[in-house]
Amino acid sequence: MQNAKDTFYIALRNRLTTVNPARTMTLRGIVRPGILVEEAEAPMAQLPLDAFVLRWTKLAADTQLPSILAQLTCEIHYATAGTQGNSGLDRGRALEEMDYELLQMLCPSSTVKMNYTETPAEQMGTSIFWSPATFAAGVTTRERVGRVATVEVFTFQEQGEQ
Amino acid sequence: MSADLTVQNPTDQALRAADALLRSNGGTTAYLQMPTTPGDASDAGQLGLDAPNFQRLPLEPVVFRRSRPTMTEGEPAKYELLVSGAAVQAAVGEMQVASADLLFQMAAGVAIANELFLIEAVSLSECMGSVYLYRLLLRESTSGWQIQTAQD
Repeated sequence: MQNAKDTFYIALRNRLTTVNPARTMTLRGIVRPGILVEEAEAPMAQLPLDAFVLRWTKLAADTQLPSILAQLTCEIHYATAGTQGNSGLDRGRALEEMDYELLQMLCPSSTVKMNYTETPAEQMGTSIFWSPATFAAGVTTRERVGRVATVEVFTFQEQGEQ
Repeated sequence: MSADLTVQNPTDQALRAADALLRSNGGTTAYLQMPTTPGDASDAGQLGLDAPNFQRLPLEPVVFRRSRPTMTEGEPAKYELLVSGAAVQAAVGEMQVASADLLFQMAAGVAIANELFLIEAVSLSECMGSVYLYRLLLRESTSGWQIQTAQD
């Protein structure tokens, strides 16, 4: 299932570079697309602004099929305080922009599963696919507005896959 | 509203006084866990596959103390770290970052006496526009890892 999680992140990250190449962040001294996997980074007191944060939560498995079908729940957290030029008064518009970017990143809703523990990454025999995003109500915390979108990611467990 | 036109000659008096107070009140060394430069831009680095190899950036003098005497069950203890403004200035220069805020933002934690702490918040004290003391609110890491510091 780790391969599915890795593939989902890399797919979204690569799509973000096309959807909005300007959405970047500096993390661990590197400028990279504004998306990260929370569990693969150092713990942080507050999630970064203007970036998508993937948080893996629930896991379910259907063992009645010839191959185990795993269902992983991914929460995508994002928040913004708007832009400095507009003194943050555009934070609603900035959040809407992130909503739209996420919708674009999630389409099409499948991709070939890859094994990133190999160098170079190895293509696997199946694909992962995911549900449309469920957007939660926006949350305002002082100058930040944010939202959580939830996506169900499905993957077949392949022979010998860890 | 009028501007303050009194003559104020900036000196590093507050900076030196803060250093002296920190040294005389149990001054010790803390180590920021900083990413290596250049960082790891690979896919493996972003997926948690590669070891980040954080480097230790010493800060001294610092004073470390418990900030919340009442303990709550299941809640990690909170501490505060008073850091010399001069030490932070030097660290900002060494890491070639734009500001102290960015420096603390980049840090994955602070190692003190072989224990790892996470930075929760940063505040500062300044005198005549010059920062002489930083106060970091730290939370005890629940990982229980022993971090080797240069003192060992």
